[in-house]
Amino acid sequence: MAEKHKIIVYALSTCPYCKRTKRFLDAHKVVYEHVDVDLLDDSKQDEVLDKVEKLTGRKSFPVVIVGTEIIVGHDEQKLKKALNI
Amino acid sequence: MSSSQVERIYCPVCLAKFKFSEGWSEGSVVVCPICGERLTISKSADGWVGDRIDKGTEKEIRDRIDGFAEIRGYVFNDVKEDIVEGLMGKYKRFGDFYCPCRMEHVPEYQCPCKPTRGGDVEKNGKCHCGLFWKKA
Ligand code: SF4
Ligand SMILES: [Zn+2]
Repeated sequence: MAEKHKIIVYALSTCPYCKRTKRFLDAHKVVYEHVDVDLLDDSKQDEVLDKVEKLTGRKSFPVVIVGTEIIVGHDEQKLKKALNI
Repeated sequence: MSSSQVERIYCPVCLAKFKFSEGWSEGSVVVCPICGERLTISKSADGWVGDRIDKGTEKEIRDRIDGFAEIRGYVFNDVKEDIVEGLMGKYKRFGDFYCPCRMEHVPEYQCPCKPTRGGDVEKNGKCHCGLFWKKA
């Protein structure tokens, strides 16, 4: 498994697709860092939302970052490809 | 009250005023035709208002989304349960049933949100979260 890159998941704690993405990564034993953006305190939240918007052009979740690849939304095909699984 | 003037009832969920139907009176339980919320109606100094039944409970939000789907003829799939869980999380953390897939905690994103009430499902086949679906 190619896990050379740090993998980060930006999610909302309440969003069903974010949950599916996390479940999918867990099922494939992928190690990742995750941030529930809605649970951050205000200043940190603004900072992360800004970052997500810069990276993706919108405030839509989940966002998965694998090295230079950015996957917006729950997309198993793209995840598989990016992670070589 | 003149009979030529249509009376309206204020819905505290979608913030719209819907038409008063014949046969309704103080204490009647009615369904808001715009958002699907079940309301007990009463007359206040500012006119008729609806009071949310079972406010803040899982029953309230289930009745509301089921009611809305019935009014519009939409269907659900297996994402529904995750979304109900997400809506409960929003209520607990942010004080009302705001869209679980959005960060905005404002009245227009109370589920069913304004875009959905405005016809998103007809346009895209589903609402932003994929709770409501157009019948195939
Ligand atoms: S997008 Fe769907 S689930 Fe989200 S608030 Fe609107 S109607 Fe509800
Ligand atoms: Zn309403």
